[in-house]
Amino acid sequence: MNVPEVFLRKGLTKTFEKFMHRPQTTQQKGPYNATVESNILRSGKFGRLTLRLEGTAAQVFRVAKPGQFAQFDVSNLRIPPAELIPDELVNSAKRNVILRRPLSLAGISDIADAEAVLLDILYCIVGPGSLRLSTAEKGDRISLIGPLGRGFFVPAGKKLALLVAGGMGAPPLQHLAGYLREKHKNIEVLAFAGAKTITDLPYFDIDISKVSDKPDFSIREFSRYAVKSLPATDDGSAGFKGFVTECMRKWLDANKIKPSDAIIYACGPELMLKAAADLATDYGIDCQVSLEQNMACGTGLCQSCAVKCCCPNGEKIYKLCCKDGPVFDSREVVWE
Amino acid sequence: MKTDLSVKFSKLTLQNPVFVASGTCGYVDELSDFIDINALGGFITKSITPLPRPGNDTPRTVETDAGMLNAIGLANIGCERFIAEKLPLMQNFKTPFFVNIAGRTIEDYICVAERLADKNQIAGLELNISCPNVKAGGITFGTDPAAVSQITKAVRKAAGNKILIVKLTPNVTDISITARAAVENGADALSLVNTFTAMAVDIETRKPVLANRTGGLSGPAIKPIAIYMVNKVYNEVARPAAIPILGGGGICNAGDALEFIMAGASAVFVGTANFLCPTAATGIIAGIEKWLISHGISEISELIGCLK
Ligand SMILES: Cc1cc2nc3c(=O)[nH]c(=O)nc-3n(C[C@H](O)[C@H](O)[C@H](O)COP(=O)(O)OP(=O)(O)OC[C@H]3O[C@@H](n4cnc5c(N)ncnc54)[C@H](O)[C@@H]3O)c2cc1C
Ligand SMILES: Cc1cc2nc3c(=O)[nH]c(=O)nc-3n(C[C@H](O)[C@H](O)[C@H](O)COP(=O)(O)O)c2cc1C
Ligand code: FES
Repeated sequence: MNVPEVFLRKGLTKTFEKFMHRPQTTQQKGPYNATVESNILRSGKFGRLTLRLEGTAAQVFRVAKPGQFAQFDVSNLRIPPAELIPDELVNSAKRNVILRRPLSLAGISDIADAEAVLLDILYCIVGPGSLRLSTAEKGDRISLIGPLGRGFFVPAGKKLALLVAGGMGAPPLQHLAGYLREKHKNIEVLAFAGAKTITDLPYFDIDISKVSDKPDFSIREFSRYAVKSLPATDDGSAGFKGFVTECMRKWLDANKIKPSDAIIYACGPELMLKAAADLATDYGIDCQVSLEQNMACGTGLCQSCAVKCCCPNGEKIYKLCCKDGPVFDSREVVWE
Repeated sequence: MKTDLSVKFSKLTLQNPVFVASGTCGYVDELSDFIDINALGGFITKSITPLPRPGNDTPRTVETDAGMLNAIGLANIGCERFIAEKLPLMQNFKTPFFVNIAGRTIEDYICVAERLADKNQIAGLELNISCPNVKAGGITFGTDPAAVSQITKAVRKAAGNKILIVKLTPNVTDISITARAAVENGADALSLVNTFTAMAVDIETRKPVLANRTGGLSGPAIKPIAIYMVNKVYNEVARPAAIPILGGGGICNAGDALEFIMAGASAVFVGTANFLCPTAATGIIAGIEKWLISHGISEISELIGCLK
């Protein structure tokens, strides 16, 4: 079989090899019980859930990598009263939920003077599971399994990290922004944040008055780590008008960077990830994407989360999103 | 008082009656991150075919009310890699391992059975004649009594002295007919049930949700039907022939497991519940023990088929 062209470009195969061999977490993964600290809703669509973890859970999540996720049991949480159920969800709201729901870690912080950590989760209300999550209140207990999967990898020698978040792809990239700031201070970080329209930008702290067409500090989720962001909306209601990947192309054309110095980290809808992968190939920049697949177990037992991948020798195989991913090198994914 | 959880299962005595089910627990040690594999009564690997199979396109699973559909498509690493990479790992455990075997033709089944017949790491084989996912395989054998007879006989011959469990499909009008076909042709045990063929529709796209269109329904939604089938097969086939039943379908807690045992199962398997909580099986073992103690019962085997 032919070696796919994308693997042949000089130097890239080596970083790919390193990426493939990045470690898997072998720590205990629970199930753990977390206590809800707060659960804030925004525009009825998004929520930010903060959980308190103690004991072993605190120890293992403290060192979780950006891009990793956890499986949440939402089956015991309340269904909101009928008048609060959005129209799109009236048919599915009362479905008897049994499977856990995979959600990315959006941030982990220590609590001063306590053997505990706070875990931030950002969720979008799309079905019966996330609807139940929206009713969680301070003091509720939620069972979770994690940290699961393999997260983002930072190859040696990179000087610039370009984060591309499409819609609900934001959570792991916020975590990554914080991680890079703390562990890789010499890497410059810039976040491109896209959505269909202004109200779909899943950020809780966004200062629209500061949004311009240049990198700015309008999104506090990134600016708290001194990371600048460039919002883009399909309809132009905030920031750049157009797809977030177009915004990034424009930025790359205007800023002469050395491709081998840079790395793209992307998370969002599949079409956006494909566009990011194409862009990375065009500019010769390394690119890692965080993928989503329907998951039943999240722990490598069921084979439901298959991702079609291409090995450097040209062979096509299925990998598991929950175990091998959710972060993949953009070149190994077979985009359909 | 001491409680005895052990049960007789064909020529084995199991330390307890709880298995993990094929396709829901990996090949050998995938659950080790969460439970002690040695605590299980038995272990059934995912289906193995002669050659590796990549499996179906995605979506392969979808949640439905109190259950889920799956159409994995028998994705597995194939018999040779299984023997080379997975069998040696089994030596680290004392739990009896059963290898679930599947195929498209009788020759496929015989081929895998012959390769495994002399492997001392495994206690036996489970014949998957009921996987509803693969277009040319599974379903045709399991719903046709003549085919069940033929395949059981052929694999019995190929499997040497390994215990042969035949896993029945519930997608038939009278499950006792296929159960009888298996028992009369050399099955040492019966396991039931596999998943129920089912479909979920996305009303926005007007398409089936699964790429394979149909899938197998598992989970709590199927439990009452599975218990009925276990009881029917117990009364009509298994008890008269003195053949043990490995029963399951939707088992999530100790109470569910006890229902199956009282209906006639000598042992039970836990499938979908491993996804909901990877410690489900060991939790169920502990729960059964607790129930026996609180009810003053010293041996679980007293409860098998005790339905009044
Ligand atoms: C590794 C991983 C990380 C994730 N991180 C986040 C996160 O940080 N925040 C967040 O809001 N969501 C995240 N998701 C998606 C999230 O798991 C689903 O939105 C959630 O399971 C939906 O459950 P539900 O019961 O509300 O809706 P369902 O009824 O299950 O689904 C409602 C709609 O969402 C779609 N959907 C369901 N599951 C997924 C999925 N896994 N991927 C894509 N679409 C799906 C369905 O096709 C359907 O159209 C992540 C998914 C994965 C696999
Ligand atoms: C994701 C998934 C994969 C399965 N794969 C197999 C398989 O490879 N071979 C087999 O005989 N049964 C397979 N089964 C069926 C289970 O072993 C079990 O018979 C069925 O799911 C009913 O039990 P449960 O409700 O406890 O899951 C699978 C089930 C699920 C949910
Ligand atoms: S979700 Fe079960 S194997 Fe990945």
